[in-house]
Amino acid sequence: MRRVLRLLASQEAVLLLTLITLFVVVGSINPRYIAERNLYSIFLGNAYIAVAAIGMTMVIISGNIDISVGSLIGVLATISGTMAVSGVPIILCWLAPVVFGVLISSITGFLVAYLRIPSIVVTLGMLSILKGGLIAVTGGAWINDLPDGYALAQLKPFGVPMPIYFMVVLTIVAALWMRHTATGRSIYAVGGNAEAARLSGISKRRTIMTVFAVHGAFVGIAAVLFATQLSVIQSTVPPNLELTIITASVVGGVSILGGTGTVIGSTLAAVLLAAIGSSLIFINVSPYWLRAVQGMMILLTVLADLYRRRRQGLVK
Amino acid sequence: MFKKAKTSVAVCGMLIALTHATSASAERWDGADNLPVSPLACGAGAAMAAAEAKPYDGGVAINAPDKAGEKITLVDVPKLIGIGYFAATTEGMRLAAEELGNVDIKTDGPTEANIDDQITFLDNFITQGVDGLLFAANDPVAIAPVLRTALKKGVHVVGYDANAEPDAREWFVNQAEFNGIAKSMMDSIIAEIGEDGSFAIVTSTFTTPNQARWIAEMQAYAEQCYPKARWLETVEAQEDNILSFNQATTLINKHGEDLKGLLGMTSVATPASAEAVTQAGLCGEVAVVGLATPNAMKPYVKSDCVKSVVLWNPVDLGYAAVHVMRAVVDGKFAPGATEVSAGKLGALQVVNGSEVLLGAPYVFNKDNIDNFDF
Repeated sequence: MRRVLRLLASQEAVLLLTLITLFVVVGSINPRYIAERNLYSIFLGNAYIAVAAIGMTMVIISGNIDISVGSLIGVLATISGTMAVSGVPIILCWLAPVVFGVLISSITGFLVAYLRIPSIVVTLGMLSILKGGLIAVTGGAWINDLPDGYALAQLKPFGVPMPIYFMVVLTIVAALWMRHTATGRSIYAVGGNAEAARLSGISKRRTIMTVFAVHGAFVGIAAVLFATQLSVIQSTVPPNLELTIITASVVGGVSILGGTGTVIGSTLAAVLLAAIGSSLIFINVSPYWLRAVQGMMILLTVLADLYRRRRQGLVK
Repeated sequence: MFKKAKTSVAVCGMLIALTHATSASAERWDGADNLPVSPLACGAGAAMAAAEAKPYDGGVAINAPDKAGEKITLVDVPKLIGIGYFAATTEGMRLAAEELGNVDIKTDGPTEANIDDQITFLDNFITQGVDGLLFAANDPVAIAPVLRTALKKGVHVVGYDANAEPDAREWFVNQAEFNGIAKSMMDSIIAEIGEDGSFAIVTSTFTTPNQARWIAEMQAYAEQCYPKARWLETVEAQEDNILSFNQATTLINKHGEDLKGLLGMTSVATPASAEAVTQAGLCGEVAVVGLATPNAMKPYVKSDCVKSVVLWNPVDLGYAAVHVMRAVVDGKFAPGATEVSAGKLGALQVVNGSEVLLGAPYVFNKDNIDNFDF
């Protein structure tokens, strides 16, 4: 068991090591890369991606996927912004995306858990519904004139941008929850070996339902950070947002087959992706490399995962 | 443990390979295409390059009744109604009609930018009988047959904003040419950063045709008119608000004091660049100029962080379209003409055979931006 845990932990170690290597290598080429200001930009850059990737990691560990997450963020951000400009108290504007996130994601969860439709099909449908609905309702108009005090993500308590607190605290809370609570552990059980989970009295349906609801909450928080980082809300879905979030989860070491992975890994991966993106500008490399590097990282991670699984099989 | 070491070696290898790729190819990648460029003359004044003599390639209204000087009924079918942009073109048309006194015009069209609906609207108006149709096409090819039908029935057809195939309409009012936008962008940024200032560009993707064209024209114009300006680099930011913000912030972090200006090439990149400068507390230190719609830029223009937003004026666009139509009906603007008189806008040039150029792009600033809502 200890051995398994150590193997599981290794993806985080690899990511951390890569991140440090990147800071050292690019920092030695251009010291401004590791200046305080740019480090904040890097950690801030993908903070909302990291928060959404926490939920995504849980979903993937449970043996499912959510490809509608980018559209959901767009919709929730627009709901929040629309409420804010129509004078709803700001605290409610911050909470609404979380509530709606849980609601919408629970619908997905219900379809997956109780009607047994594969999650990729359900969320493909959700993606179109949310994206199409958003454009139909807003007409692509941006939300301007957001009230003072709404910009949660622009706050800097003790000089540190707010999204970084969210990213760190939520990652720790989620990691503890997944490791030390019965519900948290049942996510691994359902995704890893559904039959064994059933025999040990874990309800697969209820677990998947819970996972999607919790995921919705994280997506809601990510949407608030997304909505409040700038002074306007785009009211459309950024291209490839769902892919970036899934990439963070996968590179973070979650097994696409379900059952293994951690949210610490996905958060580190989100930061690493931001760090790579930033480094490409600092060393004057075409940003097209970011895609290529992301692709290579996904393949390397999946290969490493297969390798680990095979070794576990041999150890058994 | 072994595997872990192996993976990080691989990742480090990748990074080293990347770094080498950089030092090997020091050439800056600006995101310009390699089509021929035609930069305009430096400085203020003549906003036109020498017009190439291309013969008229528009269509002709067959046996149109002679209504020179008489009252005419026009219908305008924009891409869609209910958005600020086309509300502004409609307003321009109303102004022109009021000024001319012998034009009745109404705007009607689909509520979504849908070509099928737009064709239905056009069909109905042709059946009802009007003297002229104005349109902004949702699809240049699909709209052509219904417009050709109109021409055959003697209805005059003039396009604006979004073109159709040339032979399906008589004239098209072109809101801006690439070299005109390029000149406006460069002149505006240089006015803020000085002739030896250094700037960087945030664009959508290097393969987006319009943006690549603008950048190519900007390079050509800058080489000719501002040889001392330092073009630092161009970064890609998709059509993604937050990515644009991150890329602009990284440019600020990387170049520090060297960066005097940012140019945004899309209506997403420009406000995000302004936001990056605002949040970095560098308003006044780093100038932001870009292509954007006024609504997205209002907060930054009002906070004095952004002085110039480059686009065209849709009110003038609608205004010009009605004047062109009136001139066609009056027989004052026929194939082969090189310019047309458009009321307060003066004489507008003919370009590309059958297009009327609206003129230099419009620069939105603190004084005028509140007059626009799109």
